[in-house]
Amino acid sequence: MTDIIHNLKTTRTSQKPWLTLKAREMMEAWLFVSPSFIGFLIFFLGPLCAVVYYSLTEWNLLTQQATFVGLRNFENALLENPDFWHVVRNSVIFALGLVPLNMALALTLALALSRPFFGVVFFRTVFFAPVITSAIAWAIVWKFLLQGEGGFINQVLALVGITGPNWLREPGWAMAAVIITRVIKMVGLNMILYIAALQAIPRDYEEAARLEGASRWQIFSMITWPLLAPTTLVIMVITTIGSFKVFDHIYQMTGGGPENGTLVLAFYIYQQGFKFFNVGYASTLAMIMFVIVMALTIVQVMLRRKGME
Amino acid sequence: MTSLLLKGIEKHFGSVNVIRGVDLRIDDGEFVVFVGPSGCGKSTLLRLISGLEHISDGELMIGDRLVNEVQPSERGVAMVFQSYALYPHLTVRDNMGFGLKVRKVPAGERQRRINEAAATLKLDALLDRYPRELSGGQRQRVAIGRAIVGNPDVFLFDEPLSNLDAELRVHMRSEIAALHKRLSTTMIYVTHDQIEAMTLADKIVVLRDGRIEQVGSPRELYERPANMFVAQFIGSPKMNVLPAANAQLLTPAAVVPASAESVGVRPEHLKVSKAQDGIVRGKVSLCEYTGAITLLHVTLPDGQLCLVTSDDHMAPSLGSEIGLTAQAEKLHFFDHQGRREKPVSDVGVQ
Ligand SMILES: Nc1ncnc2c1ncn2[C@@H]1O[C@H](COP(=O)(O)OP(=O)(O)OP(=O)(O)O)[C@@H](O)[C@H]1O
Ligand SMILES: [Mg+2]
Repeated sequence: MTDIIHNLKTTRTSQKPWLTLKAREMMEAWLFVSPSFIGFLIFFLGPLCAVVYYSLTEWNLLTQQATFVGLRNFENALLENPDFWHVVRNSVIFALGLVPLNMALALTLALALSRPFFGVVFFRTVFFAPVITSAIAWAIVWKFLLQGEGGFINQVLALVGITGPNWLREPGWAMAAVIITRVIKMVGLNMILYIAALQAIPRDYEEAARLEGASRWQIFSMITWPLLAPTTLVIMVITTIGSFKVFDHIYQMTGGGPENGTLVLAFYIYQQGFKFFNVGYASTLAMIMFVIVMALTIVQVMLRRKGME
Repeated sequence: MTSLLLKGIEKHFGSVNVIRGVDLRIDDGEFVVFVGPSGCGKSTLLRLISGLEHISDGELMIGDRLVNEVQPSERGVAMVFQSYALYPHLTVRDNMGFGLKVRKVPAGERQRRINEAAATLKLDALLDRYPRELSGGQRQRVAIGRAIVGNPDVFLFDEPLSNLDAELRVHMRSEIAALHKRLSTTMIYVTHDQIEAMTLADKIVVLRDGRIEQVGSPRELYERPANMFVAQFIGSPKMNVLPAANAQLLTPAAVVPASAESVGVRPEHLKVSKAQDGIVRGKVSLCEYTGAITLLHVTLPDGQLCLVTSDDHMAPSLGSEIGLTAQAEKLHFFDHQGRREKPVSDVGVQ
């Protein structure tokens, strides 16, 4: 019996594996990630490369022919076509309106709803529900509520003697309306992120500060807000990116109008690609959008780094 | 001059009574330790004093001020938290200066006081570090430093050493004792470690279920526990409690008070001898060797289990018979409710 065991042991140690432990672990790791990695290659990296290539071509779907034109499309967009800068300007206005409003509202709601009280779950649900609502349905409802004549909002305003504008038909108001309705739709997501971050801050900090004589505002500005900084950065980045990518909302509510007043970048790309079938030009615009979003992210992360020092 | 007076303090959380009528006097400069089993309300009582919790009933005086309705920051107390509660985004310097800053103390004065406290606690070299760059003991010291800087009338400590390893705990314990000696400020200290309580306290307050069981100096609690709970809570290893009839077996000199139901004797007050020399014999059922002493679990003839410490080098072996003897004056008697009975021999003395 002991002999057998002895033999087993010696055979086990004497046998040299054909791969080292490290190599085998590497192989296993690759096997595990391969399904999603292959998906990533086919559905993400592939199209991305295609877009990079198309952006260098002139390709109208109707002509079925792609001709390589180098940087001609970029030249056109950035230097010649006045539409492009108008659209970028709209996107920037949209982002500048949406991001601060969304974040301020999200933080305010989170501060109010981070501590348990009777009904807190109800309120959290109410504010989060729009996030998981279909964007199209949301836009349709708001379009209805914001009708110029007989719209619900204007009826309410009329009760207090205000004659509301024809929200979605006047350039300035249309932009304000899409921003605000978009904020109300998406604020719940950031609220939840802020609530999670607030709940992760130990209660002791606040109590210690309170004992030391800090007012509520001082506790918020000197302790809570700095401790929320990483979350704020993440929220800022995802909200900004999200605001540059907004499409379905605009598509349904204003269709880019009136007078192209809400024609934002993502919608413009859609128009160029799928309405006018300028696939090459649309790809170029997509590339530019990619660079803008990337640059914004990098700038924000660098600002944060600097703030940390 | 800061004494504290607690009169009939109560605290309810909803329908749960956590503190049920605490009366206590704490003198100026005293080091008072709250001990008691987990959940007895030590932290709650401390938080009531600090003002972090609102007092449900009763009166709390700090100095000669009734402070029930006074803001925590206006009570002149500073608290050291079990978790230290150091602000992670601020340096040691800014952590210590936080309270001064919010109270708008001028920067120069602030620096002076921070440096002074840092020197006291040997933190000078660490002032520009962040809490995450400190060891547990250093964080503890910063937390104490932050309390000192505000120059409070009363220090409150809630299990400040419980996150430290055994060695560091002993070290910090002596530092806190030294600090109290130097500042002679009133300190209230919560712990469930009775060695900490015994070594630090001028006065120990034993709590159970939101009530005070006994208040006294460490020696009083050890020598004259007011009841069986205190008797068993203070002292390690725990006091043996046996039926009163056993007293006579332990020492013929014992005079058992008439109403006594149980007798208590501390493991260190039982003398081990050879089986034939002892008055009562027992069988060693477990030996726990700790170096300086050996803790023996002894089964008495009537089946009762009894703990005995033995510093004997000839530690009795497992299963052997040994004799036990007690001194009459080291026996404690308790009545049927667990209250202390005055030993008959004590009557004339006190
Ligand atoms: N905010 C609260 N709401 C309800 N019950 C509470 C609250 N805070 C404490 N309690 C209860 O009060 C009792 C005393 O709690 P406390 O924290 O004072 O105990 P403790 O003596 O400090 O215990 P430990 O040694 O474990 O720290 C516990 O039973 C606890 O569950
Ligand atoms: Mg506690």
